[in-house]
Amino acid sequence: MIKNNKDTIIKTADITKVYRLGNIKVNALRGVNLEIRRGEFVAVMGPSGSGKSTLMNIIGCLDTPTSGQYSLDNVDISKLNDNQLAGIRNKEVGFVFQTFNLLSRSNVYGNVELPMIYSTERIKNKKKKILDAIESVGLTGWIKHRSSELSGGEKQRVAIARALVNQPSIILADEPTGNLDSVTGEGIMAIFQKLNSQGKTIIIVTHELDIARHTHKIIYLRDGIIHGQEEVKNQVSAEEKLKQMPKLEDKLTAN
Amino acid sequence: MKRLLENIKIAFQSLFLNKLRSFLTMLGIIIGVGAVVAMLSIGTGAQQTVLGSIQDMGSNLIIILPGNPEEENHMGAQLAFGIQQSELTIDDLRAIEREATLITEVAPVIISSSVASYSNKSIQSTVVASTEKGLEIYNMKIEKGKFYSRSDVSNVLNVAVIGQTVIKNLFGKTDPIGKIIKLDGKNFKVMGTLEARGSDAFGNDQDSSISIPVTTAQNKLYGLDSYNMILAQSISEKDIDAASEEIKSILRKYRNIRFGEKEDFMVQNQTQILDVMTTIIGIFTVVIAGIASISLLVGGIGIMNIMLVSVTERTREIGIRKAMGAKNRDILVQFLVESIVLSVTGGIFGILFAVSVSAILSRFTVLETSITLLPITIALSFSTVIGLFFGIYPAMRAARLNPIDALRYE
Repeated sequence: MIKNNKDTIIKTADITKVYRLGNIKVNALRGVNLEIRRGEFVAVMGPSGSGKSTLMNIIGCLDTPTSGQYSLDNVDISKLNDNQLAGIRNKEVGFVFQTFNLLSRSNVYGNVELPMIYSTERIKNKKKKILDAIESVGLTGWIKHRSSELSGGEKQRVAIARALVNQPSIILADEPTGNLDSVTGEGIMAIFQKLNSQGKTIIIVTHELDIARHTHKIIYLRDGIIHGQEEVKNQVSAEEKLKQMPKLEDKLTAN
Repeated sequence: MKRLLENIKIAFQSLFLNKLRSFLTMLGIIIGVGAVVAMLSIGTGAQQTVLGSIQDMGSNLIIILPGNPEEENHMGAQLAFGIQQSELTIDDLRAIEREATLITEVAPVIISSSVASYSNKSIQSTVVASTEKGLEIYNMKIEKGKFYSRSDVSNVLNVAVIGQTVIKNLFGKTDPIGKIIKLDGKNFKVMGTLEARGSDAFGNDQDSSISIPVTTAQNKLYGLDSYNMILAQSISEKDIDAASEEIKSILRKYRNIRFGEKEDFMVQNQTQILDVMTTIIGIFTVVIAGIASISLLVGGIGIMNIMLVSVTERTREIGIRKAMGAKNRDILVQFLVESIVLSVTGGIFGILFAVSVSAILSRFTVLETSITLLPITIALSFSTVIGLFFGIYPAMRAARLNPIDALRYE
């Protein structure tokens, strides 16, 4: 049972990515070998230009590698066409972005519903699944609010609910706390930790060690190759940290 | 199907969010479709008016005119060389009366213009001189009094039957029956009035006419031996061509025109006149509607322009949708539906616009309009095609966007 739960979900074999900028070749990735198992909570760290975003795009099936193999949930992704990739993204990947990327003119419900609209399979209990996802990020009662009326933290929670709604194999978060203050960011990390404890596979791209220390494993990326991996000892608990953190309002009134 | 409904919903939402822009974009289509439909309805209306008033003249009518239709400049030639113009006389009339078997009635007509006056008022009127048979052949109806009789014609009496415009101008509210009017200075006794008929196919007021016996017109008013034309009525509508041919051969024989020689008279009937008028109005309508459809084209380009702007503006939205699993086709359909919704909604408003314009025109002007299903169907399908045609390029641009670049777009 446990063994089954630790199945490999992401496996990359020597993947490279070469961009062309005019006449210049940019080697964004130079042979990345990576294995992530089901239920893991992983952080990918690296300075800018390290190839983090490129790796994320490939893992998220937004892009395909120039060479090498990538399989997601035992499906070889490397050679799929645009439409097949779109289908995989819809079914297998939940995205959370630094800039939230919500449809500002739609309300919370409409935003969370979005991946379901593009689902090729018939979804039963659609409404209940949407409401459940919204509830799991604590936004019940905000359903009718337009996303442009929400604060940053609330927007990111909507984005997480949207990432959850199709029950994908992996949740991919690109600097999810980058545009948030530390208290709000900690709240988002608490949600990720809760989801991971429920068995979700989560991959976070970040350049903040503080954030990375909330995960189980940190993968260091530099110049397009993996530079090292590290199991996180003494994982930070966002819940605990939130309790210790003085409320932002208290700080403001104190000064 | 469900996906299509979803797309239509998304399209309406985004059009609604940009109300002013959507309306202005639609305006091009509204004006284009409106103009085309309104022009077609005016054309159809004109056609029906003309057909109606030609048929009003009597549906079995055959018109015999002097002169040859193929010598267009014969009038000029006559003036220059003093050639005698061919005339239609009482002998022609008698010949037709005697020999024709396919006609019921035949009547001579002289049409001229004279000043009619009563007490101190006067009016320019059209004198239509004929025999007692003119009433039926011309399809005129007596309102009050009576039409002149056969004996009135043979006795060359100074009697007149007058139309509604004449009554209004000369008599006002007084009863004209039995009164004496002057036509070019001669006294005529009013013995009857004609029912109102309105304008004829050529826009002439038929109610400003005064009808008098043809003999009186010839001998006392204009000093003529001939007639302007002879009217005949065939026994039925389907015999009209045969009756025309019969009259032709009678007149050829009587006027000693040998085989192969051209006739010095013309025989026309209703069907021929109708054909000519229908063709003329049809060409006219097509030309006007063609000009109007240029504005439809301009409206289509407006849609394309706005859709291109919209695609650029919503690059990020497209990126988000693609990241969430939207396929190229989904994005294509979304934007295509949007441009079709724009143009079809514009088309519907345009039709409403045209319908009200036509209603106003036929109520407040002399133009008769007629909205039929055909131009509406054409306009609607045309605006759909415009939406498709001018929407496909922007939609393809949207569909082809790379999700990574689109998500990064600021």
